[in-house]
Amino acid sequence: MSQPVIIKSNQYGIHLILDPDLPFEELLDRILEKFLGSEKFFQNAHVAISFGGRELSGEEEYRIVDTICSRTSIHIICIIDQDEAREQYTKQRVEQYLAAESENTGKFYKGTLRSGQVLECETSIIIIGDVNPGAKIISVGNIVILGALKGIAYAGASGNEGCFVVALDMNPVQVKIGNVIGRSEDKGILASIRERKKTAAEPQIAIVSDGRILIEPITKSTFQNI
Amino acid sequence: MSEVIVITSGKGGVGKTTTTANVGTGLAQLNKKVVLIDTDIGLRNLDVVMGLENRIVYNLVDVIEGNCRIKQALIKDKKYPNLALLPSAQTRDKSSVSPEQMKKLTDELREEFDYILLDCPAGIEQGFQNAIAGADRAIVVTTPEVSAIRDADRIIGLLEANEIRQIQLIVNRLRMDMVKRGDMMTVEDVCEILSINLIGVVPDDEQIVISTNQGEPLVGSDAMAGKAFANICRRISGEEVPFLDLQKKAGVFAKLAGLFK
Repeated sequence: MSQPVIIKSNQYGIHLILDPDLPFEELLDRILEKFLGSEKFFQNAHVAISFGGRELSGEEEYRIVDTICSRTSIHIICIIDQDEAREQYTKQRVEQYLAAESENTGKFYKGTLRSGQVLECETSIIIIGDVNPGAKIISVGNIVILGALKGIAYAGASGNEGCFVVALDMNPVQVKIGNVIGRSEDKGILASIRERKKTAAEPQIAIVSDGRILIEPITKSTFQNI
Repeated sequence: MSEVIVITSGKGGVGKTTTTANVGTGLAQLNKKVVLIDTDIGLRNLDVVMGLENRIVYNLVDVIEGNCRIKQALIKDKKYPNLALLPSAQTRDKSSVSPEQMKKLTDELREEFDYILLDCPAGIEQGFQNAIAGADRAIVVTTPEVSAIRDADRIIGLLEANEIRQIQLIVNRLRMDMVKRGDMMTVEDVCEILSINLIGVVPDDEQIVISTNQGEPLVGSDAMAGKAFANICRRISGEEVPFLDLQKKAGVFAKLAGLFK
């Protein structure tokens, strides 16, 4: 290996690739050298660290972290395993947490969304007004529309199929929840206006059921399922 | 206090220019001082509908570029001395004018006129941006067709985003016979989708085609469309005017038609 120590950055922090053959004490010096060399760049950074290229014992890992922390201004907040299964698990938990968070926090938007307007939201969203044809709402969490949904609603935008869309008058062009898409029937706009007039609009909810979008009236039992 | 009103629609061919000509003439009949500006640079036609094409010497772009004074470019109407037209340029394009220049122009015209009506080009590009730059209020013209309504909805969104608060709707070319048969959207259907205030309904009327070809706006005449435009003008000037009963009138026509069958 041409370089005994390589620093790579990833979305969590830094990944150290170490020479497998170098004696540990020498390696430690080289690591310190490397970090001191790039200290300006990392100055006071809080990073997670992971190791690769060499099997390290627990004590060795500890000594590397200790050296970096005590001799430079970099703060290492944790060591990340290279274990794929565990990484997957962690990722899943983090995403679950974010999804739960987005379901439980929300924002209000007052006004009618018109054709060409797109509203994106990192949390759930409550719209006081209509969503007209050609308009689009994208929410990481749930969508509640106190008005008519005649455009496109996309709930659970980061892939959470447990999200729902509620509207007082549910007549969307498309509803997408997680990765499941449902679209309206193939009939003319005039025909659908006529049809809607025949029956009084009632609040409806769209959820994912058996891998398909299901739209149904809101009843007491609905709330037990969501 | 003068007002700058932009007449717009998004979609082409729904009757913006016809509406501008008739509303402008109608307001002049109410003794208001009115100027019409054709902002459709490159596709000049308001002058044709007004029957003033032969009087054009200078145009909007000449005024903006300082080739002439505003007064020199304004064309006085044939019938109403308190009605003027600022024609568009035919040999240039929309990029010849900027929104700031349009705003400056309309602000200057405020001093002399009660109403400044801007005939907006179709589309949402620079021509539209120019036309709405100086406007206080907007009149959105639509026909009861899904394509026109969809575009009108987009336009209303853009007007709202540009902080034009007073937006009113004209439903043009309504055919009561088709509405009755259930083949055309009703005015209520259109209002429900667009959710803005209605300022007038103009029935589809062949008299409009005739008057346009003659270059004489028909506002104030006995034709149904003429009455509808006259009412719209009174509503613009702040009067409360009940809506025409198109249904009843259609009934009379239907009966007449029935006699000749």
